[in-house]
Amino acid sequence: MAENPPIERQILRRMSASDEEIVINFGPQHPSTHGVIDFVTQTNGEIIRRSVPDIGYLHRGLEKIGETVSYPGYMPFTDRIDYLAAMFTNEGYAMAVERLLRVDVPPRAKYLRAIASELCRISSHWVAVGSMASDIGASTPLTHALREREAVNDLLEELCGARLTFNYARIGGVSFDAPAGWGEKVLRYLDHLDSYIQEWDRLISLNKIYIKRLANIAVISREKAIAYGLCGPNLRGSGVSWDTRRDWPYGAYPDFAFAVPVGQGQMGAPGDCWDRYAVRVLEMLESSKIIRQALAKLPEGDIMAKVKSRPKPDPGEVMARVESARGEMCYYVVSDGSEKAYRMRVRTGSFMAMGIIEEMSRGSMIADLIALIASFDIVAPEIDR
Amino acid sequence: MKITTALDSTSLTRRYPKTAVATTLFFLLALPFLLYLLLLVTLPFNQPQTLNALAKRVGWDLGGSPIRDTWYAVILVVEASIVALYTAVFAGVTTWVERRVAGRMQSRIGPNRPGTLGFMSWVADAVKMLFKEDLIPAQADHLLFRAAPYFSMVGLTLPFVVLPFGESVIAADLNVGVFYVTATSAFVVVGILVSGWASNSKWSLFGAVRGAAQVISYEIPAGIAIMVPVMMAGTLSMQGIIRAQGGWPWQWFICQNPAAFVAFFIAVTASLAEGNRTPFDLPEAESELVAGYHAEYSGFRIALFLMVEWANMWIMGALAVTLFLGGWQIPGVSVEMIQQARGNDVLPSLLWFGWQFLSLVVFAAKTWVLVLLFIWLRWTLPRVRVDQMMSLCWKFLVPGAFACLIFTLFWVMAPPSVHRVSGIAICVLGLWLLVKFVMQTRKNIADVRGARVDLSNW
Amino acid sequence: MTETIRQYVGDIRDVVTTFWQGLSVTLSHMFRRPITIQYPDRTDKRVADMLPARYRGLLEVDLAVCTGCLACARACPIDVIKISVDKDPANPKQRVITQFDIDESKCMFCGLCVEPCPTGAIAHTREFEATMRAVDNLVFRWIPDPAKPVPFYRPVKGQDAPRAPVGSRIRPLLDGLVWAAPAADWGAPDDEGHKHKG
Repeated sequence: MAENPPIERQILRRMSASDEEIVINFGPQHPSTHGVIDFVTQTNGEIIRRSVPDIGYLHRGLEKIGETVSYPGYMPFTDRIDYLAAMFTNEGYAMAVERLLRVDVPPRAKYLRAIASELCRISSHWVAVGSMASDIGASTPLTHALREREAVNDLLEELCGARLTFNYARIGGVSFDAPAGWGEKVLRYLDHLDSYIQEWDRLISLNKIYIKRLANIAVISREKAIAYGLCGPNLRGSGVSWDTRRDWPYGAYPDFAFAVPVGQGQMGAPGDCWDRYAVRVLEMLESSKIIRQALAKLPEGDIMAKVKSRPKPDPGEVMARVESARGEMCYYVVSDGSEKAYRMRVRTGSFMAMGIIEEMSRGSMIADLIALIASFDIVAPEIDR
Repeated sequence: MKITTALDSTSLTRRYPKTAVATTLFFLLALPFLLYLLLLVTLPFNQPQTLNALAKRVGWDLGGSPIRDTWYAVILVVEASIVALYTAVFAGVTTWVERRVAGRMQSRIGPNRPGTLGFMSWVADAVKMLFKEDLIPAQADHLLFRAAPYFSMVGLTLPFVVLPFGESVIAADLNVGVFYVTATSAFVVVGILVSGWASNSKWSLFGAVRGAAQVISYEIPAGIAIMVPVMMAGTLSMQGIIRAQGGWPWQWFICQNPAAFVAFFIAVTASLAEGNRTPFDLPEAESELVAGYHAEYSGFRIALFLMVEWANMWIMGALAVTLFLGGWQIPGVSVEMIQQARGNDVLPSLLWFGWQFLSLVVFAAKTWVLVLLFIWLRWTLPRVRVDQMMSLCWKFLVPGAFACLIFTLFWVMAPPSVHRVSGIAICVLGLWLLVKFVMQTRKNIADVRGARVDLSNW
Repeated sequence: MTETIRQYVGDIRDVVTTFWQGLSVTLSHMFRRPITIQYPDRTDKRVADMLPARYRGLLEVDLAVCTGCLACARACPIDVIKISVDKDPANPKQRVITQFDIDESKCMFCGLCVEPCPTGAIAHTREFEATMRAVDNLVFRWIPDPAKPVPFYRPVKGQDAPRAPVGSRIRPLLDGLVWAAPAADWGAPDDEGHKHKG
């Protein structure tokens, strides 16, 4: 067993001998690591020398499963890659296989995917900001965020029958059309959301203690964010204006006008934890705008293109990207001509965020490490798949 | 499908609703007041002469010394037990209040199944904790691990001796009462440190060391802020400070001195930090240290730690009420009236008992308002970081408390008319702030689409 | 120096104003209705009846309109549906279904089996309460007795299949479940690792 000593011993070996430093495990069972991840932390009192993430506790072989299940059958498994933002995982996979099959998705299906995805983004961001507040110590905002999210879950439950693992997109379109009266319910929720966000801000976003805990913490500069491959709100929080929906558009997004919120150092340095948090709150409002436009312009027509029940795409490889709630999610699918994929590779935003944690944790305090992990909005199943 | 289990699926509460309501009301209203009443009834007989006089009145000659002294000792033990029992009952009831209040603030219902309105949930929790396995980590220091909760308990129960529940309802009116409370309540940190060390867990150690730093630091602004009403009253005795105030709000120390107004908030903040309540719950930060210094405790031992935390709120509230909010003073009733009602007899009159009960109710009501404020703060505010907690103490609270102290040095030399004017002015200011706050709260509900006042769903 | 003083005073002012706002928000929530639904006994209707029509609950099969096409069994990515078909011994022209088992303990309620069904025989109901002490007892055997097989349904052109209302077929099955029933002996698992045979 000498080939792979546990990670604590690796760190201990590289540590300079010092009696005052201790190595503790932040996790894998911990309320604040947003899943089952272990952060092996070497601290001197409250100051962290370094903190190394140890991932893999939630590995379920989802990419291998992609090689053993048919293309349509893999759709429910994509839900489980990121269960908090399942619409994006569904849509990304569907887009990849549609490109392999060279199938055109009808416009109504594209719009429905966009509406469902943006609702899912709102739902995922509620969890993100609520659990971030809970990690910082305020328990009430978490329940309020989940209450708001329940309304979105109810809407999506009416649409496709499930509240978390939607399995909504299909290869060639979507599985269900919007039921009668659903559009009005969505608009009523969006009206409530637009008026509720200012109460949310007064409760927690602008709270002085909250700002003091997050401003100027774990400042990630533009260059560092790009160098470490951060994506999504983490990247935009550092001031880089990049959004796959606008810059590499897909689906129905070219038809919508929306802004891309970018962290500007409103409460501290640009690229701190508060900026990443604020970007998520503002993105919820932008999603609301997109959904309103989509509902207003929803075209009539089919919701599914003609696709065989067990499609066999031509051999080839394809890469499809979607702007998931946690960043850019890429599906790289290699087909060998059979009805099961040869290789299914998923690149997720949370995995990319793991790389920068060791560098950011140097010299910070334990509470700051918590703030950093929370501000990245990581979801452990997305990291390990 | 019907899930059949051994027990009937209908709860006892549903089948016997009247008994449930009666039991709940009993526990809610009667038990604490029974305790109070017992205390009230036995306290005048603190003196052996009074005991003798009562015995003679009843027709019972206590005779020789040993019998009288034994009775005297029994009365003292009963009073001590009442005080100790009161801390336990209060801790339990507060958990229920906190969980229900926190529930509604978080858009959910708190516990509402055991007993009416969930009132028996704290009894159920206490019994459950008694039945849990007593786990002691193998590498822990067994003796210290077992002793740690009792250190905290000592720090909790000792201050109750000088808390002035009513005009004469105080176990011992020491002439250094305030000093005694500050000194003995600091004993809790010994329990925290010992438990953190003895648990043999790095997380517990983190929590314990944070707790020690916090409590020791916040003793300073607490002590200085407490000196402000002490200077205004001229005595350290708890009853003396209350007697120097009056019943009406403009006669309270918080209104009589603008520096006392500021010192109240400093004292409350420092008390929150001493009691490990959010925003200062770093020693047991749930989302970071997962229960910190009492992480390795289970069963009854952790019940003791939690009891210390909740019952400490009563001490914090009682101290603030005594020093700043007029204590047990009944509006419109002066201390001389109560003393006159006592009568010349060795035994006090029934009217005197009535006044005592009323002063007890006033004190309890004021302290409960403060306890509810602490609960409210806990469920609204996030937690501060360790270094921010230290900088808040040393950079903001200590200079602020010193400034209040220096101001009060000169203020007490001013004539009483100045104090009266300040009393009315700050009282009006407080009322205005309260009205504005209520209006803001109503506006909150009106601003959100789809929200309205709705007191249903208990 | 003035900067620090301004910052100091500003900090105190920010603390007071933001605490005021936060406290008023939480106090206002005390007077709003909690959103808790007190399942299962303090709701107006059964929770299963409050769910939307498309809710993907437990699967139900109306064998009267099952055509025996096996599309649902093929569509399931984790093979929880086990169907056995045979020729009717009495009438060789007629084919019958002798086994239709759905392993609800493994089902992930994805709905992929419901979509290809030509008549709507298999459908998701709104039922979700089916706990059993022995997990193996969660295999719902829609043809309880292989000696009484069900013939294939022949769809009539231009007419919808007369499927029973969704939820009516599963009710008797759910009511007949006994939580503490001992696990049936399913025998050895088949090639795919499923223990469907009795």
